[in-house]
Amino acid sequence: MPQIGQGIMKGMGVTLQHLFGQKITRQYPEYKRDLPERSRGMLTVDMDRCIACLQCMRICPDHCISIEQTKRDADGSGKPKPYPVGFVIDDSRCMYCSLCVEVCPVNCIYHTEEFEAQAYNRLELARQFGERPVDPTVDPKPTVKKKKKATTKKAPKTVERPVTEKDGAA
Amino acid sequence: MQTVLNLLEVEPIRLLISFGAVLFLVLNLAAILTMAERKVSGYIQLRYGPNRVGPRGLLQPAADVFKLFTKENVSPGRSDLWVFLGAPIAMFIPAALVWLVVPFAPDAVVADLNVAILFFVAITSIGALGVVMAGYGSRSAFSLLGALRGAAQMISYEVPLILSLLGVVMLAGSLSLVDVVRAQGDTIWTWYFLPQLPMFITFYVSGIAEVKRVPFDLPEGESEIVGGFMIEYSGMTWALIQAAEFASMAVMSSITVTLFLGGWQPPLPFLDLGPFNWVWFGIKTALIMFTFQWIRWSVPRLRMDQLMDLGWKVLVPLTLVWLFVTAGLMLLFPSLGA
Amino acid sequence: MLGEERRAGHEGALTEPPSSRLVSPDIRDEFGLETIDMNMGPQHPAMHGLLRLILELDGETVVRCDPVMGYLHRCQEKIAENRMYPAVIPMTDRLDYFANMHNEHGYCLAVEDLLDVEIPPRAEYIRVLMCELMRLASHIPSIGFLMLELGAFTPILYAFRERERIQSIFEAVTGARMMFHYIRIGGVKADLPPDIPQKIWDYVESLEAHFKRDFVDLIEDNEIFISRTRNVGKMTQEQAVEMGVTGPALRCTGVDFDIRLDYPYSVYPELQFEVITDTAGDVEASYRVRIGECLQSIQIIKQCLEQMPEGEVLGDTGRRIRPAEGEGFGRIESPRGEFAVHVVSDGSDTPYRVHYRDPSFCNMQLLQEIVPGHYLPDIMPIMGLIDPVSGGWDK
Repeated sequence: MPQIGQGIMKGMGVTLQHLFGQKITRQYPEYKRDLPERSRGMLTVDMDRCIACLQCMRICPDHCISIEQTKRDADGSGKPKPYPVGFVIDDSRCMYCSLCVEVCPVNCIYHTEEFEAQAYNRLELARQFGERPVDPTVDPKPTVKKKKKATTKKAPKTVERPVTEKDGAA
Repeated sequence: MQTVLNLLEVEPIRLLISFGAVLFLVLNLAAILTMAERKVSGYIQLRYGPNRVGPRGLLQPAADVFKLFTKENVSPGRSDLWVFLGAPIAMFIPAALVWLVVPFAPDAVVADLNVAILFFVAITSIGALGVVMAGYGSRSAFSLLGALRGAAQMISYEVPLILSLLGVVMLAGSLSLVDVVRAQGDTIWTWYFLPQLPMFITFYVSGIAEVKRVPFDLPEGESEIVGGFMIEYSGMTWALIQAAEFASMAVMSSITVTLFLGGWQPPLPFLDLGPFNWVWFGIKTALIMFTFQWIRWSVPRLRMDQLMDLGWKVLVPLTLVWLFVTAGLMLLFPSLGA
Repeated sequence: MLGEERRAGHEGALTEPPSSRLVSPDIRDEFGLETIDMNMGPQHPAMHGLLRLILELDGETVVRCDPVMGYLHRCQEKIAENRMYPAVIPMTDRLDYFANMHNEHGYCLAVEDLLDVEIPPRAEYIRVLMCELMRLASHIPSIGFLMLELGAFTPILYAFRERERIQSIFEAVTGARMMFHYIRIGGVKADLPPDIPQKIWDYVESLEAHFKRDFVDLIEDNEIFISRTRNVGKMTQEQAVEMGVTGPALRCTGVDFDIRLDYPYSVYPELQFEVITDTAGDVEASYRVRIGECLQSIQIIKQCLEQMPEGEVLGDTGRRIRPAEGEGFGRIESPRGEFAVHVVSDGSDTPYRVHYRDPSFCNMQLLQEIVPGHYLPDIMPIMGLIDPVSGGWDK
């Protein structure tokens, strides 16, 4: 049977100290802390730099980026180049993994410090950046270059695990 | 004006008006205690508790009551509906009734019974019935477990509760709470908690067990049988059960204060406030309620067999032994009794 | 060994072994007693996630306890077959979401086993530093969860205060508070910001100062805690080894097995630390082992900060990570036990098969073996001993 005594009193002393101590909560909407410079918030795109290479669309694990690509001569050089006429980022899917930021060759997609992605309707969470709106509910299928050789997923040859003396341990 | 005051002396009207006042007090106390509990728990846990509704969050109980009024009272399909709905009432009424005999100030008690302690003991025993009705009426495995645990716990802790009162009864020589308060002098070292210290501790611990608070909240058992006997209640029925729990916590604190800490007596004679001594009563009751909450947020809960061991193997022998000690001291020093 | 001197003379509340409380089924039939079949379902506030326990109760004694898992299954191993090797790392973050760095580290070790990339020493030190900070951020809330399930509601808030502070350090280093995506194949993503080593040092010193007050004084001598956890969930060494248990649950029975010392990886051979074991094998012993491991992690963090060399942080893996055909295996010591990853490659951009050996999944076998014979309220401290995380057992 438990003997009620000093241990409980010691614990209650600790809680009493905290009762009169400093509180650690912050009142959120009135106080917002400074986010560190590397913090990954919502994504945003600098459309002037985007070259519609579709790398971010391919690498995104959640398929949250959809790009509609056309060929247009945007900077007057005479040669039509790929141009993103529609660009949508679906915040309801983005998991802030920053893979798209890392593969972008021109550094046009990057994280901001905002993190409050809220809307009354899930479809409003898809932010459109281009001229023409892209439907975020359609799963993007990027153009994949056909592979010349079929890769069959056959079972690879196994490698023998080296047996050490540690195998008898534990 | 004079006729109104004369009317207040007429017996049935006095009782009804004062009972209405006490009921108003109890319901408001239950609401305020929810707020106090959350603020105290917040401060212990390094946060502020509710502080948005009203200045410093003081209107939070109003928001809670409003929300609970507008919620749907869900009841399980297979439940025994009369038993299910009667259980919160059976839990609330004992907690409200005991306030009738508590003396708030000199000559300010709703019903000055000369068997007030017996009344208190009898009425608090009805609380166990409410728990069993709640658990049985819900017809679910978790609530059945909670109800059986609750019944076993409340019945077994009534024994040390009653035994620890007996020392006070012997010293005061009467079962009336008004006499008990008057028999404790108006200095802090003549109150009964010092000569009856083991009884005071036993009564306090049994009081926590009767109210089913941590460390004795196994009938409610939030981590294993989520809610125990009150798992199927929602909306106003749940609010009534919570109000009953807080009201009975307040009642236990006030009876503890009345029996052991001098009731409305001030700690030193020159601090006597006359008819305003209910301020002292209020301060002492609030202090005891604060310690209930402090213990709740500091210690884990006991398991059922450990709870029973504590009640039967530790508290009951302690009270029996101290009863004999008190009786022996009263024989040796006849000036001790009233 | 911890704890032996404390136990002398104080047996605690359970003096007879729990299984002796089980009434045999013939006696039950003879007296006409029945058992209750109850379900501690997936919706439960204290189940460490989504676990369904099918219980057969004889009054309050548990006769049979069957865990049913799978309520959080996200097909991570299958999805990893369609992702390129670096894109699997954000998914490993989400396995055991209390020890993200360890998951990433295990996977990267497995893939580096397939390639022959050289990891710079500074990257190794940063990896170990982050993993030990993560171990702190995992063990302290584990203690808090144990106390929450026992019914004490405050230690978990003190624990989450520590975890929040560690998470803000992680946010300054990696950019995210929980799903870091920081440890990469060949090193780490980016170097520590210049003011971070000093911040980590200051934080660790302050933690050492108030660790005893907040997590040891409040809990260790509390008589109710001792009665609820001593001799509850008692395992023998043979039982634990036979069930494949690893981590603090194994070390609390006395078996001296820690992957950081027995199968060393990264820079652990160059760091001085001890393996904490306790002989008792019950819930109180696991609590004590976790407290000891927190203190050892603080020592490791200090040594890492002192010994960290300068240099670059990401090895050269080439433009594409396309390992040759073969298998790679990486095993690390996560806060819950041994976390191992087995990657099978067929020479293309995506793995052929990724298999995670998660400690939460393997330690869950304890529930079926140990719980019968205990009371219903004892299931929660035993879950606190195992300390599973639902992303781990379900993947």
